[in-house]
Amino acid sequence: MSNKNTSALGNLEEIKKVNWDKERVTNLLVRNSMVFVLLLVIGYFSFKNDGFLTLPNLRTILIASAPFALITLGQTLVILTGGIDLSVGSVIALATMTSAKFVVTYPDQFWFAIALGIFVGFIAGIINGVVVAYLNVTPFVTTLGMLTIASGLAYAIGNGAPINGLPERWGNIANTKFFGFQSPVFVMIAGFIIIGVIMTRTSFGLRIYAVGGNRVAAEVAGVNSRRILIYVYAISGTLAGLSGVILSSRVISGPPNLGSGYELSAIAAVVIGGASLMGGRGTIWGSFLGLLLIQTLNNGLDILIIPAYWQRVISGVLIISAVTVDMWATKRSSK
Amino acid sequence: MATQAIALQVDGIQKSFGGVPVLHAVSFNVPSGHVTALAGENGAGKSTLMKIVSGQIKADAGTVTLFGQTLEQGDPMVSRRSGVSIVPQELSPYPDLSIYENLFVGREIRNKLGLLNHSEMQKRATQMLEVFGLDLNPKIKMNRLSVAVTQLVEITKATSWGAKILLLDEPTSAIPDREVDQLYKVVRALREQDVAMIYTTHRMIEIQELADSVVVLRDGNLALNVPISDADESKIVRSMVGRDLEKLTSAKININAKKRISISNLQVDRKSEPVSFEIAEGEILGLGGLIGAGRTEIVESIFGIRKARNGVIAIDGVEINIGKPSESIKAGIAFVPEDRKGAGLVLSRSVVDNTSLPHIREFSRSGWVNFGSRNTAVTKVVESVNLRSRGLSQLVGTLSGGNQQKIVLARWLTQSVKLLILDEPTRGVDVGARGEIYSIIRKLASEGMSVLLVSSDMPELIGMSHRVLVIRGGAVAGEMTREELDQDDAQIKIFEYASGQVTEDINV
Repeated sequence: MSNKNTSALGNLEEIKKVNWDKERVTNLLVRNSMVFVLLLVIGYFSFKNDGFLTLPNLRTILIASAPFALITLGQTLVILTGGIDLSVGSVIALATMTSAKFVVTYPDQFWFAIALGIFVGFIAGIINGVVVAYLNVTPFVTTLGMLTIASGLAYAIGNGAPINGLPERWGNIANTKFFGFQSPVFVMIAGFIIIGVIMTRTSFGLRIYAVGGNRVAAEVAGVNSRRILIYVYAISGTLAGLSGVILSSRVISGPPNLGSGYELSAIAAVVIGGASLMGGRGTIWGSFLGLLLIQTLNNGLDILIIPAYWQRVISGVLIISAVTVDMWATKRSSK
Repeated sequence: MATQAIALQVDGIQKSFGGVPVLHAVSFNVPSGHVTALAGENGAGKSTLMKIVSGQIKADAGTVTLFGQTLEQGDPMVSRRSGVSIVPQELSPYPDLSIYENLFVGREIRNKLGLLNHSEMQKRATQMLEVFGLDLNPKIKMNRLSVAVTQLVEITKATSWGAKILLLDEPTSAIPDREVDQLYKVVRALREQDVAMIYTTHRMIEIQELADSVVVLRDGNLALNVPISDADESKIVRSMVGRDLEKLTSAKININAKKRISISNLQVDRKSEPVSFEIAEGEILGLGGLIGAGRTEIVESIFGIRKARNGVIAIDGVEINIGKPSESIKAGIAFVPEDRKGAGLVLSRSVVDNTSLPHIREFSRSGWVNFGSRNTAVTKVVESVNLRSRGLSQLVGTLSGGNQQKIVLARWLTQSVKLLILDEPTRGVDVGARGEIYSIIRKLASEGMSVLLVSSDMPELIGMSHRVLVIRGGAVAGEMTREELDQDDAQIKIFEYASGQVTEDINV
């Protein structure tokens, strides 16, 4: 494959020169397939409907994506370690109900109510992490249990009913606009940038990839894999808590079923974004594209007045085909 | 014996893995009702040969003939239909199913309604087991049986498919001595039934007890093929290990080196005896022994990925907190594990990520990775081990075995290392890279690093080590100095210590 006498860097130069050809271009296409699929989808809808590629509609897509953004981020980290977090949707509900109940009871404790919602998510995440890391219960079972517990608690807080009568100020959290965009859009973008930087630029990020790619090898290299797992689930829980606060602000109430089913949308975004459920492979950028793709598709199909049930069928087909293409691309690039 | 038909004939079998030849044109035959012991060191090609006959892999060249019919290689079902069954070293029963269910999986007996006929299967299972003198209730769950009995059930299963050729891959490696007799009985019963058998083992005593003839493989070549009456123990051992040692020049010893690493009373688990030894600055201490002797457990305990029961490890007189890899790394211990892919590398990550993982703290400031200094350091070490890659961003999963091993080694060298632990550092590594890895290890030792080398490759162990401890049953069974290693009979002596034919009184 390579010349025996060249060093690692010598070879690099050589290969760089040689490979600027067809193969490299196809590799580029394969590696960024999601970008092209997204462009294709956008192209198709713009062609079918003039109302699609307009600024207001773009804004609609971003606003629709925002509620899923934070849990998609948390889910990406968890999936990178080879786990899964099914509890995020219910944790959103639990955080919503906790902070709603609190702010209704103590209307002047506005900031504390926000912090409490986030903290509840954090605690749920820590429990997930400890059970997964130290009790060795599989993530699927652990977070399925947490899903049920958090959902039960959410209903218990409101005695089975939604909480109403939240102070008007509560609505400011998510409904304040900057440059015509509501604040959750900025939270989404900031979240993706911050977590993206953490994953690519910090030792913590590298260790998450290492634990997911090969937990034994990571431990041999001195990585405390249990601690990494706990951090990751705690981050996922905390972000779900924050999501809960933001979502309850949008509706200025505390419905106990808020966020129900969101975990599946988050998992879908991560998987479409190219992450492997086995862990160790995937990127924040990919998950962002996955999220945008799902929302763009939903939005486009809405505009074309395709009924919601057909939209679900199409989304399902998209998930399976995205993973199929990805498997094929991975196999190809490892050759 | 001579009147028996040839059941199995292999002719000119060749096989390479990733360019590394494992078998070079091996030919021999086994008549029906005849037990052929297949001996050879670890990595001599025994398992590969068994896999070819049983259809799990395909030879690059050569033929396998069963009862005069050429076997279509590479399909386990074809081999099985032709009458070949294998009982692998690592058994894989269905642990939560009963004995009879295990025996009948894939050919269940059904009643008229198409449902399972449990009573008939149980009855037949009892009969099958009785043939081998096994008085077992077929309704017992498989996971309640000992390894030895599990193996006998697997043999029962294998032969009940009508096997005329049975391959037993190190059947005694995992079972206690007192349970071996029953296995012998079963093997003899099968011989009476005219089944041809290949039986791999390390134990001379078994060869003498059971075999009709002996085939020895060495480095993928046929080294010996004689009737048992012509093969005494020393002849077999010599053909197993008698390899050219010239390739490896003996390392030099620095007599004045101070003892730097001390390991005292390290007890791996409840069953094993405590071990104690010291390693001098710049010394390469070899750990020899058979597979399963407990060497890997010892080095894993030193590094801390395995929790030892007891033991004190000190470097330069300073005790280290054992049981935590991160502490060991901080204290200057580096570990190159036996299972490179399973425990050494994150195959889905790049050269630079893998190389920097153990010391990622040193390349980061409050968590932020400094990519410049990381690249510089990694470039330097991968050049020092002569890594051949397409660059630092190449995924390590796409590198050759030898180059992967260089990364597992190089990644420790970005910081100063006092004790380098190598567990089978050249397994699956081609000859060229092997030489390079040897010279890297020697160079590191000459710079003062203490090296603990676990190796099942005799020339490697003898050629590289300044001193060798032979481990058996988790304890030190013998020690050999450089002078003793230089003797012609060094390999035979190590083998004798390792297999328990001689025990030296060690005062450690």
